Amino acid sequence: MRVAALAAGLAAASPGRLIAAQSPVQAQVTGQAVIALTHAEPVPGGDGLSELRVVQPVVMLRADGPRRIGFLATLNLEGATIAEGELSPGAWGEGLVDRRHPHTYAHELMLTADDLLGAADGITRLSLAAGKGFAPFGTDDPMTRPSLRYPVNHHLAQILERAVAIAAVAHGPLTGEIGLFNGDEPERPGQWPRVGGRFGDSWALRVTAVPVTGVELQGSHAEVRSPEHRQGAGTDQSKWSLSARWEGPLGGRLSYGLVEWARTSEADGFFVFSSLLAEGAWEAGRHRLHYRFERTSRPEEQRISRFRTLRPHLENSIFGTTRWTIHTIGYSAPALERGPIGLRPLLEISYGRIGKVGGGFFDVEQVYGGNDFWSGTVGLRLALGGGAHRMGRYGAAMSDDAAHHHREN
Amino acid sequence: MRSFRRLPLAITAVALLLGAPACGSEDDDGGGPVDPPPPPPPVQSLAVAGGGDNVAERFTSDLWVHGSYAYSGTWGSFPRDDTPGNALKIWALDGAGAPTLADSIIVPGISTMSDVEVSADGAVLMFSAEGVEKAGLYLYSLDDPANPTFLDSALVGPGLHTATFGEIGSGRYAFTAKNAPDPALLIFDVTDPADISLATTVPIPADYGIHDTYVREGLAFVFAWNTGVIIYDVGNGIRGGSVSAPVEVGRAVTEGGATHNGWWFHNPVTEEKRYLFVGEEGPGTVGATASGDIHVLDVSDLAAPREVATFSVPGAGAHNFWMDESREVLYAAYYNGGVVALDVSGTLSGDLSDRLIDRLEPGGDGDTYTWSVMLANGSLYASDMISGLWQLEVETTTAGE
Repeated sequence: MRVAALAAGLAAASPGRLIAAQSPVQAQVTGQAVIALTHAEPVPGGDGLSELRVVQPVVMLRADGPRRIGFLATLNLEGATIAEGELSPGAWGEGLVDRRHPHTYAHELMLTADDLLGAADGITRLSLAAGKGFAPFGTDDPMTRPSLRYPVNHHLAQILERAVAIAAVAHGPLTGEIGLFNGDEPERPGQWPRVGGRFGDSWALRVTAVPVTGVELQGSHAEVRSPEHRQGAGTDQSKWSLSARWEGPLGGRLSYGLVEWARTSEADGFFVFSSLLAEGAWEAGRHRLHYRFERTSRPEEQRISRFRTLRPHLENSIFGTTRWTIHTIGYSAPALERGPIGLRPLLEISYGRIGKVGGGFFDVEQVYGGNDFWSGTVGLRLALGGGAHRMGRYGAAMSDDAAHHHREN
Repeated sequence: MRSFRRLPLAITAVALLLGAPACGSEDDDGGGPVDPPPPPPPVQSLAVAGGGDNVAERFTSDLWVHGSYAYSGTWGSFPRDDTPGNALKIWALDGAGAPTLADSIIVPGISTMSDVEVSADGAVLMFSAEGVEKAGLYLYSLDDPANPTFLDSALVGPGLHTATFGEIGSGRYAFTAKNAPDPALLIFDVTDPADISLATTVPIPADYGIHDTYVREGLAFVFAWNTGVIIYDVGNGIRGGSVSAPVEVGRAVTEGGATHNGWWFHNPVTEEKRYLFVGEEGPGTVGATASGDIHVLDVSDLAAPREVATFSVPGAGAHNFWMDESREVLYAAYYNGGVVALDVSGTLSGDLSDRLIDRLEPGGDGDTYTWSVMLANGSLYASDMISGLWQLEVETTTAGE
């Protein structure tokens, strides 16, 4: 189900779909939020912790104007609802650990000029996109995937919330993208990318192939300058991602699957972190089941509290590397569908094991009291216009149904 | 442990020894320039003499030796057995110089005692501290060196990474490195150690900021990570600077950045003050791996230092230095590489890997992560994060051997 809205003057054309009448501008508004009660055990310190939070509250606007000019905006309100992050053992980045960080309010603000050459280049589409958004690297934002829990590999497998300029070309089943961006990660929800002095210090290249309908193969590489230190003193990263994605009917039932491998080499290979992830979702009538397996390594940094790591850094050392092996299984079913609004209760359970890779002072048992953990979430997903669309691809890299998503209500 | 016995070094030293009397005889009649003293016997190797495996409950940080006592700090950025690095260890040295733990001082509210030093007159013990509540600068009286007594402190959030004494004019000052996010060189007047006062603040670019300071002859060498080395006149007179109003003399960025510490070499053999040794603290996994080289800057022109040589230990990284200037030997703590002794005599240029005299991992392979070294009373002392305080024997040969 999709919702289209006009930039000016909404007119209902069919239930759940709004289009512009006699207007050169068409727009869609979608959104989602999840009320989630999560318990995790153990958390740093060795005990358990339960929290009720509103997570992934986003509103998205996609507007298509004349001359194939497009505008995409995603407002993320996590800075208001989870300012101290979302309880999520294994999560890390942007100064948080074992809590998934809130994203910036302006998650995406992208202006796109698509198919710049029109018919002159035949079926080839050439596009330019610029603004704040995803670098052309890796897989889809976890927010648009079946599991509510973010994977540990978020900072290995996606590069987002940067000032980006992306050229994309699509020809038949192949799409190529190249992008320039600022290497630094955001430090807080209200922060803007550091364009002056950092824009263009990092780049990414992604090639995508769709050999048959529903199958998408992706390979990408990025060179990221000092992502963890805004002023640029941090170590640089060299990142690789390979993935195969499936979405479509299987045995008459909607299904989705993703297998991805990601690797980040930092400080000229002094640190290497890698991830292997496989996930899938299956629908049978009203019922949807999803599962994810993940094995991802992460750095263990100096902590200044249970869930906070030292920022800004003082040096380029870590205390060790841990490997997180996690199984996540979940179930959901629609409870209400009324017009563009959908409510979907969900249940998700994760079980994982934390191992230490290599040396260093970090001690898993000292921090967690053991090597195993579990977490469980009971939640209610609220979707507007079908919820979040696939994020991170713009212009020629975004097929017509890329604005769609696999998690429709 | 690897041992490198260096024949060329011995030949050089013998040649200098033989040549020195001739030069000296020219001065005996007076009036001419005073020749530098001959170098003492060259260092041949390092060996464990005592200590070690003596701080089990905490990770060890910096050290200082004065008289028959040594003092070492503790590190707790990842606390060992959940025990913060809030202890100052007091060591009694026996007649042979071997350390025995005599006492400890626990300082509440800090997580790491990051730098330890005793004033040249042995009167005041100083340490810097990092942590949440009571990070800053601490001074203790050493009237009784076995029982330091608290004099004063200056709390500085989010912490001081290092503190270095500097005797400028008739005053005594502490040159301290304030941590990010607003890194700065903070200079405290500690002439009256019971009444610390801030003399001045020099902001340092937040390119990871300032890590250490070396003070000599009224010049302060600030080691400021990717900003490089910044040389300030704090009383030398070369630029009219003072402790309260430092004036920059020059700066240089060493290859690879991550400028951490240094030592301005005053060579008594050549009477040169030509070389500044700079430690690069590269990426590491604390307790296991490290990286970073020693960079040599020619500071003949203090306004325009230039890098002339480097030294590297593959798979290990440099940390704090000490020099035996008379023997022209640089000692470097090298984290997982242990302790390095480097021949720095003569002209330094290019790759100094063939200048390695010896390297010793005092705790053994896998149990060594050496923070600091200091030469005192004829022994080299090393503080190792894993295995505590060590006394190392510096083996030498005499001329003619």
